[in-house]
Amino acid sequence: MSAVNGVVPTAIIAVGLALAAYALLTTAFNRRVGLGLLIVIGVLEILLLVLVGLIVARLADGGRPAGMALLIGYLIAMPLVPVVAGFWGAMERSRWGPAVYAVAGLAAAILMVRLHEIWAVIRV
Amino acid sequence: MRYGRSFVSEPGASPESTASPETAAAPPESTRTGPGRLLVAVYGLFALSACARAVTQIATEFSRAPAAYVLSALAGVVYIIATVTLVNGSRTARRIAVLSCSVELAGVLVVGTWSVIDKASFPDATVWSTYGIGYGFVPLVLPVFGLLWLRRWSGRAKSGRAIASPGAGEAAGDGGDPDRVSAR
Repeated sequence: MSAVNGVVPTAIIAVGLALAAYALLTTAFNRRVGLGLLIVIGVLEILLLVLVGLIVARLADGGRPAGMALLIGYLIAMPLVPVVAGFWGAMERSRWGPAVYAVAGLAAAILMVRLHEIWAVIRV
Repeated sequence: MRYGRSFVSEPGASPESTASPETAAAPPESTRTGPGRLLVAVYGLFALSACARAVTQIATEFSRAPAAYVLSALAGVVYIIATVTLVNGSRTARRIAVLSCSVELAGVLVVGTWSVIDKASFPDATVWSTYGIGYGFVPLVLPVFGLLWLRRWSGRAKSGRAIASPGAGEAAGDGGDPDRVSAR
């Protein structure tokens, strides 16, 4: 349970920011989405799914945040971000595909901060 | 434009993939490609977050700040319309997109000013509070880029020919890097 308190959200922030930096460099170098970006966004997706599992376990344990409705919304929306962005960016054959990945990486990092605001037991 | 090996290439999905170097420099085929790809992604993200915020606020504590929550919902709807119309990209959709981007720009300016002057009406933030400060001022910048992008499109539709792409010469002359694509 302790993993909710730090390791996974911190890893998501790190991977999200790394993805954003990598993607922006890819855009700057005028390349489209390649295998490297797909791997990083895949890792991000796995980490987000792990976090969803950890939070659901915590809810099943009896923990209740103040903003329960918003938390459930986050649990549904969070794992969708890399999937939707992944396909949307991969469909683009120009430098603007990686830019979509940068948005997804930044969004994942920001989501962790917001998540902590919704339920303080989820530490960053 | 050069299409090299890519894990995400869609063989035969686009007539562009077999285009000659002359036509390859044509601008993006739709409002959802090129820079529009990024715009749609950001609009989609804001549609999701504004709507999520509005729905939970209205469902759980509407009486606390009705003005702020209704404005959150309005912002969410405007973002959804902008996302859908940019993806669609038809002439009618582009007109609706221009309208929604304009409403958005007006909204962020009016609500932004209102929230700065009359803090009592906004105990909870909306997407547009203080010109979108809670969202890194992206709500203020986004409609401007949206309108600029749509303007380029309306110009192209009127003239009926392609606007010269700044990346055209570079794409035709660059080296043999297979993953390199032309600037848009």
